[in-house]
Amino acid sequence: MTQKTKTTLLMTRRQALIAGSAAALAAPLYARSSFAQSNVINVGVIQPLSGANAQFGINSRNGIQLVADEINANGGIAALGGAQINLVISDATSNPTQAATVAQRMMSQDNVVAVLGAFASSLTLAISEVTERRRVPLLTMSFADQVTGRGFRNIFQVVSKASALGGATVTHTRDLARANGTEISRIAIMYEDTAYGTAQANGLRNSAAANGIEVVMDEAYPLGITDVSPLINQLRRTEAQVVFPVSYLNDSLLIIRNMRQQGITTPTVGGAAGYIIPDFRNGLGDLSENVLSISPAAYDQAPDYTDRFRDRFGYFMVHEAQEHAACMGVLASALEIAGEANPQAIREVLASTTFDQGWATVMSGGRIAFDETGLNIHAVPMMVQWRGDELVTVAPSEYAKAEAVWNA
Amino acid sequence: MTRSHPLARLLLVATIAALAVVPLFLDPFGYALRILCLMLLFGALGQAWNIVGGLANQISLGHAAYFGIGAYSSTILFGSFGLTPILGAVVGAVLASIFALLLSIPTLRLKGHYFALATLAAGEMARIVANSWTSVTGGPVGISVPFRPEAGPWALQFETALPNYYLFFAAFLIVTLIFWRVKTSAFGYRLRAIKENEIAAEVVGVDTYRVKLQASVLSAALTAVLGTLYAQFQFFFDPDTIFGVATISVKMALIAILGGVGTIFGPWVGALVIIPLEELANSWLGNSLAGLSQFTYGVLLIVVILLNPRGLISLAETLRDRLSRRNGQ
Repeated sequence: MTQKTKTTLLMTRRQALIAGSAAALAAPLYARSSFAQSNVINVGVIQPLSGANAQFGINSRNGIQLVADEINANGGIAALGGAQINLVISDATSNPTQAATVAQRMMSQDNVVAVLGAFASSLTLAISEVTERRRVPLLTMSFADQVTGRGFRNIFQVVSKASALGGATVTHTRDLARANGTEISRIAIMYEDTAYGTAQANGLRNSAAANGIEVVMDEAYPLGITDVSPLINQLRRTEAQVVFPVSYLNDSLLIIRNMRQQGITTPTVGGAAGYIIPDFRNGLGDLSENVLSISPAAYDQAPDYTDRFRDRFGYFMVHEAQEHAACMGVLASALEIAGEANPQAIREVLASTTFDQGWATVMSGGRIAFDETGLNIHAVPMMVQWRGDELVTVAPSEYAKAEAVWNA
Repeated sequence: MTRSHPLARLLLVATIAALAVVPLFLDPFGYALRILCLMLLFGALGQAWNIVGGLANQISLGHAAYFGIGAYSSTILFGSFGLTPILGAVVGAVLASIFALLLSIPTLRLKGHYFALATLAAGEMARIVANSWTSVTGGPVGISVPFRPEAGPWALQFETALPNYYLFFAAFLIVTLIFWRVKTSAFGYRLRAIKENEIAAEVVGVDTYRVKLQASVLSAALTAVLGTLYAQFQFFFDPDTIFGVATISVKMALIAILGGVGTIFGPWVGALVIIPLEELANSWLGNSLAGLSQFTYGVLLIVVILLNPRGLISLAETLRDRLSRRNGQ
């Protein structure tokens, strides 16, 4: 009898646990009862808010949030009777399948008029397959050539393509060296063996070949490497004139620290990502001084706008935040012009207008217009250099805010 | 299935009928339909894994290799030569079978965790090849299934996800049927003999190596076909996802194990629980506390495993036993 009672009790506890979990999961379905008021425009924001790219995803979200809040504080979208922008923000994780599912969810449940996202190219490409079929515009700052290379009508890329960025990395570097009286003929590339690292390295390699520059070191290393000294020793032996490391944050810290400790002053040009965020400076201190990097946009080009980001979030406006802010700015302008919250009407405006007002001006090139593939024809890749806690544009010359320092 | 309770049989028929009818009432572009599609796909994947992982207890953590081979074969052949993915799926299945054969020659002699580790490495190897062989696979950026709506059903291109749903549904039923046939055949008994005690199986005359090889090839071919269907549904994939350890390999095993390893309806239950769970966790917590959604998902999985180490399907067995006991009294 006691045995029996015990079993019953146990079952009850199990059932309670299961029921509790089910209830906890179901709760948000009720809480979700969405913004039913008509004077709200839902805009989808899909970013990698967890996982390896979380920091970049959060920066991106902050940029978009800043612009949306400014618009709402200034009376919303005037052409739509002061409609407020409501951001529907979701986590894409690091998984393209999940990203596409999230996009589907936003379109069928939240009726978003456009989607902004999603930092990593693989996520953006997966989302675009969904938005294209549902004819909802997708505005992105992902670099991959594929983004606007598939003949899609509803995708808009505000930054230069990866191939253009790779090319500019090499040509800007060559020009900076030339201005310093050095002709570049030997370069080193080291990259993490992830999708991002491999793709960037490929761009560098192609553009070196196109410019008749020899790649004397071309080394992949595993993500999460703990000892970079063999790499640095190899770099020393090759006597490369400039080194292009491609990595996220942790590896970049190790590489630069190890190089400088070994007294190697070879000029270093990073491939965006880990090289142009405040954590790079925080992790390296003075060793970060004069490290160069390519960047699809630079905050010192539009300080009036980017300082608002700094005031609110406490760090300089990193490029992904800036580009996503530009996406939101363009979308707001398009809504004003279209005068209706209809995805296809917005798409037509995006495809046919030059945007040179408000946040659209923060992109390199100062304005945004999309060609028939959806690529921003005014985007210019920038070369930036660390000076103390700040990044300064040093190339191309018409945008430069300071002279580049060649030898670190 | 042989000694199934009439209630269980009724439940089975009702489930299949519901799966056949429900999507007709859903938004054909919608979110709910997509979740159902993913449930059927992963249910079928769990079932394909179950043939070798469940029946023979060969815990493979490299099934993503076959899945990716299927997806890449059909997508490359369609993109470069305009070959319909229907034939592409066949090519993918053949290639995956060959890969399974080649892989099995050294690995099937391994036992337990060594086998699991070797298959894990094989899946990773496939990922690295796809990442590096840019001229064929498109490299790390990934590959898109060309969007050619005019090509129509022959190219498995559909306006809505509804036809995709029925493809997944058919695949799900077919893989389940194959699993059932295998399980109830002499072949299935040999596999289970291997699971119980490999040496004893050899002693009584089972050619264990050959049996395991056959099961691996069958499982690989089915997984590859599902890979093609996934590619035609998702339209874009990259090496890190399609050959992913967490996204595919472990998930396949997890669905079978969580539901009830080696049972016919285990993968059904596993997919029914895991896919919506993952989705709810994301839609609920994906905005405010992003990392927490994955965490919650993980915690719930642990809870389920702790409560039911034999898989969720064992709940049904307990229920059945209790019902029959009551009937008997």
